[in-house]
Amino acid sequence: MNRLEPAAIGAVVLMLVAAGAIFFYAPTDALQGPVQRIFYFHAAAGLAAFGCFAVVLVGGFVYLWRESEAADRLARAGALVGVVFTTVTLVMGMMWAKPIWGAYWTWDARLTSTLVLWMIYAGYLLVRRLAEPGRQAARFAAVVGIFGFIDVPITYFSVTWWRTQHPSPIIVSDALPPEMLATFLFTMACTLVLAAVMIAIRYRIETLTDLAQTAHEPAAILSAVEPEPAR
Amino acid sequence: MNQVRVAVAVARKDLRSEWRTRELVPALAQFVVLALVIANFGFQIDSRNQSSIAPGVLWMVLVFAGLVAFGRAFAAEREQSSLEAMLMTSASTTAIFAGKAMAATALLVLCEAVMLPALTLFFGTPLSFGVAAAVFFATIGMAALGCLFAAMAARLRARELLLPLLTLPLWIPIVVVGGQAVQSALGLPGSFDQAMGLLIDFDILFVVLASLAARFVLDE
Repeated sequence: MNRLEPAAIGAVVLMLVAAGAIFFYAPTDALQGPVQRIFYFHAAAGLAAFGCFAVVLVGGFVYLWRESEAADRLARAGALVGVVFTTVTLVMGMMWAKPIWGAYWTWDARLTSTLVLWMIYAGYLLVRRLAEPGRQAARFAAVVGIFGFIDVPITYFSVTWWRTQHPSPIIVSDALPPEMLATFLFTMACTLVLAAVMIAIRYRIETLTDLAQTAHEPAAILSAVEPEPAR
Repeated sequence: MNQVRVAVAVARKDLRSEWRTRELVPALAQFVVLALVIANFGFQIDSRNQSSIAPGVLWMVLVFAGLVAFGRAFAAEREQSSLEAMLMTSASTTAIFAGKAMAATALLVLCEAVMLPALTLFFGTPLSFGVAAAVFFATIGMAALGCLFAAMAARLRARELLLPLLTLPLWIPIVVVGGQAVQSALGLPGSFDQAMGLLIDFDILFVVLASLAARFVLDE
């Protein structure tokens, strides 16, 4: 854990700096007022969640291809962190929607597909819990993770494919004033660092859990206790 | 070629066992009619709102009938441990999976042959070729995904709970475009051809992905 502690402290400090930029550097939106400040972390958390699910996808592929336990642990870590970031995105989006749209929820394509994404990866975590730990859990979860990723591009492009109430990506459309854009890009970078550090910590926890589980197996205990054969 | 023969043989085995016991299809048909009755009371259907509610009822019923049909496809194998026996032969896992999926699709299509006329009878929806085509193509994609996850859920604890939780969110793209196709076939706004094109795209994607993934799920 010693190497991860400075990384975790660094990520938290970065997030605090990002919060400072969001509240004190970025100008207040003329139309939406202070509520618009939700956008910076809401959009960043959403993109970070997509990144986490990409980790699950790659981890799943590598596991099925190579049976690499490290890839499976990485996928496990990515799924959990991704679900956390999706939850953050949904909750912050609802907090923004209430004053702006007048309702916490509308059945808009972006909102609905994000909720579906949350449910798919919640199902992924459930498969991990209900399958036999080891090869079965890893294989089944890899398959769910690969199928689940189909919803990521659907969610991302939903605002362009369907006529939605959710705002379109404003970064590409060049509609943000420079201070807002700088704040968003900085928050985005900090959130990605936070997500990466969280995945690393979770990966460490998964590694230790796996070690603890194998240590409980009689064969592993015997091999640990028995002295080396005499040379 | 050999793989196709294995798949057809597995499908024939499933259909023959269904023909001999006649368990699933009559039960599913009854379930479909019951669901329509419940929908009638739940939505307070009358002649003014029935045309707008019917497509929604169609998808609700189809999705839940599909869960039962695909769940049964592998539950029966699990109860008899017959899947293990099939996997011990030299037949490829993909072919076995394809056979099971084909049989489950055929059974669900039979149940749709009850559902669509029942919708016409109770809800006044016109029984058109467009609606039947949209439902049929949706069934293919649903069967590919549903059978894969049914095979997975059959090996897990709490399988009855897990199958809908895994399958329903992944079926949503099919329900979305299938729903658009049915609505435009019923004369509501929207492009039928575009929706059908997307539906077939999703079918191809899910059939290919499910056949590739079948090995990892069935072998476990």
